[in-house]
Amino acid sequence: MWPKVFMTRPIPLLHRRQFVVLAATVASALAGSALHAAAPAPLAQPAQGLTYEKDVRPVLKAHCFHCHGEDGEVKGGLDVRLRRSLAQGGDTGPAIVPGKAHDSLLLEMLKSGEMPKGAKRLSDAEIAIVEHWINQGANTARPEPEKLGPEYAFTDEERAWWAFQPIQSPRVPDMGPGVDNPIDAFLLYRLRQQGMELSPETSPASLVRRATFDLTGLPPTPEEVAAFVSDTRPGAYDRLVTRLLESPHYGERWGRHWLDVAGYSDSDGYTDKDTERLHAFRFRDYVIKSLNQDKPFDQFVREQLAGDEMVAQPYRNLSADAADKLAATGFLRMAADGTGVMDDKASRNAVLADTIKIMGSALYGMTIDCAQCHDHRYDPISHADYHRIRALLEPALDWKKWKAPNARLVSLMNDAQRAEAAAIEVEAKKLDEARLAKQAEFIDATLEKELAKREETLREPLRAAYKADVKKRTPEQVKLLAKHPSINKLSGGSLYLYDTTYKTNHAAELKKMADAAAAVRAGKPKEEFVQALTEPVGATVPVTYIFHRGDPDQPKKAVTPGDLTVLGGRRTVDVPVKNNSLPTSGRRLAFAQSLTDGTHPLLARVMVNRVWMHHFGRGIVTSAGDFGHLGQLPSHPELLDWLADRFMKEGWSLKKLHRLIMSSHAYRQASTRDPRKEQLDPDNALVGRMNVRRLEAESLRDAMITVTGKLTPKMFGPPVPIMYNEEGQVVVGIDTADTAGRQTGKIIPLNGEEYRRSIYIQARRTRPLGMLETFDAPSMMEPNCSERPRTTVSPQSLLLMNNGSMREYAQHFATRLQKERPTDITAQVHRAYELAYARPASPEEATRAVGFVTAQMAFYKEHPAPLEYAVGPPSKTNADPALLSLAALCHALMSANEFLYVD
Amino acid sequence: MNTGACNPFSRRHFLSSNAYGIGSVALAWLLKQEGLLASSERLKAQHFDLLAKPAHKPPQAKAMISMFMQGGPSHIDLFDPKPELTKHDGKSYTGEIKQDDAAGASLEMMGSPWKFKKHGQSGIEMSELVPHMGSIADDITLIRSMHTGVNNHGQSIYAMMNGRIVGGRPTLGSWVTYGLGSENQDLPAYVALTDPRGVPVLGVDNWSNGWLPSLYQGTVIRPREPRILNLDAPMSLRGEAQDRYLGFLGQLNQEHLARRPGEFDLEARIQSFELAARMQTAAKEALDISKESEGTRKLYGIDDPATKEFGTRCLIARRLVERGVRFVSLFTGNQTWDHHASIGTGLPAACKYVDKPAAALVIDLKDRGLLDSTVVHWGGEMGRLPVIQNRAGGSSDRSKVGRDHNTYGFSMWVAGGGFKGGHVHGATDEFGHHAVENVVNHYDYHATLLHLFGLDPKKLTYKRNGTDQVLVENAEARVVTELLA
Repeated sequence: MWPKVFMTRPIPLLHRRQFVVLAATVASALAGSALHAAAPAPLAQPAQGLTYEKDVRPVLKAHCFHCHGEDGEVKGGLDVRLRRSLAQGGDTGPAIVPGKAHDSLLLEMLKSGEMPKGAKRLSDAEIAIVEHWINQGANTARPEPEKLGPEYAFTDEERAWWAFQPIQSPRVPDMGPGVDNPIDAFLLYRLRQQGMELSPETSPASLVRRATFDLTGLPPTPEEVAAFVSDTRPGAYDRLVTRLLESPHYGERWGRHWLDVAGYSDSDGYTDKDTERLHAFRFRDYVIKSLNQDKPFDQFVREQLAGDEMVAQPYRNLSADAADKLAATGFLRMAADGTGVMDDKASRNAVLADTIKIMGSALYGMTIDCAQCHDHRYDPISHADYHRIRALLEPALDWKKWKAPNARLVSLMNDAQRAEAAAIEVEAKKLDEARLAKQAEFIDATLEKELAKREETLREPLRAAYKADVKKRTPEQVKLLAKHPSINKLSGGSLYLYDTTYKTNHAAELKKMADAAAAVRAGKPKEEFVQALTEPVGATVPVTYIFHRGDPDQPKKAVTPGDLTVLGGRRTVDVPVKNNSLPTSGRRLAFAQSLTDGTHPLLARVMVNRVWMHHFGRGIVTSAGDFGHLGQLPSHPELLDWLADRFMKEGWSLKKLHRLIMSSHAYRQASTRDPRKEQLDPDNALVGRMNVRRLEAESLRDAMITVTGKLTPKMFGPPVPIMYNEEGQVVVGIDTADTAGRQTGKIIPLNGEEYRRSIYIQARRTRPLGMLETFDAPSMMEPNCSERPRTTVSPQSLLLMNNGSMREYAQHFATRLQKERPTDITAQVHRAYELAYARPASPEEATRAVGFVTAQMAFYKEHPAPLEYAVGPPSKTNADPALLSLAALCHALMSANEFLYVD
Repeated sequence: MNTGACNPFSRRHFLSSNAYGIGSVALAWLLKQEGLLASSERLKAQHFDLLAKPAHKPPQAKAMISMFMQGGPSHIDLFDPKPELTKHDGKSYTGEIKQDDAAGASLEMMGSPWKFKKHGQSGIEMSELVPHMGSIADDITLIRSMHTGVNNHGQSIYAMMNGRIVGGRPTLGSWVTYGLGSENQDLPAYVALTDPRGVPVLGVDNWSNGWLPSLYQGTVIRPREPRILNLDAPMSLRGEAQDRYLGFLGQLNQEHLARRPGEFDLEARIQSFELAARMQTAAKEALDISKESEGTRKLYGIDDPATKEFGTRCLIARRLVERGVRFVSLFTGNQTWDHHASIGTGLPAACKYVDKPAAALVIDLKDRGLLDSTVVHWGGEMGRLPVIQNRAGGSSDRSKVGRDHNTYGFSMWVAGGGFKGGHVHGATDEFGHHAVENVVNHYDYHATLLHLFGLDPKKLTYKRNGTDQVLVENAEARVVTELLA
């Protein structure tokens, strides 16, 4: 592989949020002194009114609580969780002397770097906060609690974090006549504060391309573009959006977005074996179907969290709906799971940890996983909270009574099919027995031939030794056999080796018999499975313990299941330990209902933000997977709430949400940069224009296949296979390497499967498809992907220039042009532009392109070349120069920025 | 690249426009924090590149060329003379022996049919099958006590490549490039040169990055043209045709950009195409041996059809290292050295293919002053047994027999980069089955190599599944200082 350099994130303040809280208080102290970022901070004036809760506690929580107060740990007898206990101090005396920073042990420890032990010294700014706070008298915001019970785990400041507040229904600002779309009104409100406006509407051709890629991940056909551009009746745009939302490709496009978040993979990962997950595709299909039928998002989430608890047990003779609900729980089976290969404590608990991470970023936009070993350092998520979430999963993922991945599969075979299969098995068994009898006969015959080569006297003892039960052989017999390895190692498995020796055909004959049995078995109804999360019938619900420091060997207090406690007060956060009216524990079902009850502050915000991000290339909260202190604040909090509120009120309909967003002028505006806006808003946080976006990996490949006219629109089913080609690139194809890993060069035709959309290509964690990986598809080594990186690196260029798939697509594209516009190069050029760019070529462009094709053609007449393919050797004969020259044009059009980017 | 990310102006904008209206008063403080935060471990975004990085301590080796002889060259017939075995030729082996093949298994001992002789001032004994290697005896360290202890190809290859007997882990070359980057940004940092007769057993696992970022995967330089993937233009888009294509593409992109002024990403992509085009040339130049002198070509045996192929690859390896490539692995074909049968003809042929070029590589590197900073390695994943393996048909005809696997004791040699010259290390038992003296396990070998690269095996870590992963996992692993100059 060539260097893959990750781009610097476009947002300058990512991950700096926690300091903004501090900024307000200490900024005045530092203002004017610190424009040189790298210089140490001499403190001019102390900020006034520092309090323990607001200013000091966040610093100590991040660096010191772990050993001094949290979870019963009080090293040196010092608890730093209260101002009072700091003043009281530990074994070496008071940690602070209010009013006298220079007499305070705490400050000395921090400044010298002696504390925190084994960790980096606190920053000067952080130490300055502590210093000023002590000098100001070490004040608290309010009287401190008598005892630090769980209710004091979080301060009021932490509870006040924006993302935990109830979703409001903000008033839409009145931006005057002509602004009737609420989204535009919210955006204009902020833009006009800066003296800016939204940009003018983009051209119809560019709009139809944008909308089509956004909703289907595919380019519009020239006919679709023409129809839209020439439709001057009112409602043309609305009809376009409707058509796109009704396209089956919609689910494939938006399903992929959800699969990123769910961490979809067709293999188990975790261990180096990376076992294939043969049934994961049913979850992928469930997602696509659900999105296409616009299943309300709340229901979609409930099914993924607790579909199994909605289906009557036992899971036999399942209806289509029941099978779907079980497939939905595949969401909770997406995490890497190595327990099929390496079943130990660590691997089992890793499955739970990854699943919680996926739930956290997908549903909460929170890094709940950071509280696995201790309280979250920045967000009010306690170590106990983490285990409350874990308790939701443990009845199904009981690490003490574990089930390997295959043991969790639910069969889709019904009783009738099962009976038929059993009858066929009886027949096959008969053939097996005949084969084993024959094998014994052959072994005997071979044995005799081997014995015949030995001295007469040795024969009987050797025969007896060989025939004796392995465990009952005498030491003499064992020794004797060891001296005659070619007898000792004779077995059904090694029989074939003796065929060459004695010119027998035993192995082949036995294989024929085995094949006959296999043929009979092939007639059985195929047993299909669904990869589901289920709870064992009749099992006692396990007790979940808080693992001290995340270590399963140190279980401490028991916890009951529930949501994050910081959300308590306004809503119930406890989940019943057992719902006695259900055969299952009912935990996930109750939790799913609570999460989707319309008052949860996170779920709707997080989802609406994702949808916005995929439409605009940037979220209202730019850290789509982290709404906490290390994430970003929303650029438009009112708009985010308004959208979330509206989304829920309209029945959690994603399609209505798309329509709402796409109906705004903001979505339809041009992407052209304006020098003045660049000055005021270079990151386009205020959405004063549309962002130019590069196609995502799948869309890029799918777009190429589409313009070549080759797209196989087949939906659903087992994934399209992938293989290594001989250079070690992962390409679409059936692996024909032999058992030693050698490429046989044999090509098995895929009959159009190779031209299916990328979402159907096997997503094996260790083998990402070269073309997708190069263009930033999720690495699949992480549990899931909240936001893809967007890189611009030369391996992408090398691939676009030179890759075999590119050549194949270009040739298909050219063939299509020749077919649709025979003979006339100019017409072919115009058609090529329409197909690739959804716009006509300008006269100058056409002239130049014709010139290019003509020049290439002249070249190919002099220098003939064959056709080339993604897999396999080039054509045996040279290709028509007209086709090759046109293919060169297509290749250039498909590797150009206009193809790769959407305005 | 969006330079706005580094532009304080965009931060100013952000502050004044963010939802919570934190005013410009906070600005100076935040600007200050920017510098502080950059040094905060926790907040650093993951970033990987191939820029050259300092080692943990001053390195002796800067690059490595490994010639991996997959299949298991017979040490007893090449590097490890066993007079006792010759003495007992034809007699029955009495000790424990672990065979791999049942039908051909035999206890009949076979002394090497080839003559050994002392070479150089050091007097290292090597067989007549590798005369050229003999000629460089004073420049190499011959290890006669290698041991992996897993008796099949797959597991033993894994052991030699990634330290464990399973796949999916990063290979040595990936670790080294992960730790040190590369001295040349126009060429891949880690190169695998495969044999036209086929890839070794386990194929791509031999140069896999495992779970390290794919940046550290070995780039296959194919044994025939085109030698680099996606680097060579398609047959119909070469030379003038490609120039015209790139010119046309450039015009498309420039006009597209002109209509979208200020789109940095579009600009960056135009540049990345330019870099890609440059890489085509840089790599081509590195792979083009036509400018090499007649003498050099002869040295590598490129003038002889029997050695031309491997000689060319050895020469390419030198050219890559010369240009700053960090790690080059050369492979012989699938099971080239797996002489279960007809070792009498198979082994000489396999040796003939590599002997001269392999020695030439050491000589040439030394002549160019590159040997001191380049480790050269020659060896496979196993050796072979002192007893014969019968030919299919039960024949013990010496012209047809072979030798079965032996991972309990085998030989390989290393040179340059801080290894001693003219040195023999370790020994096998009297018959050459087990390494018995100064045993070097695969993990000791890895620890020693990292040491020469200035890398601390404990500090060269990569976080995965919550733990720091390392190449050298075995607690008993040690740097074999006796091998070092």
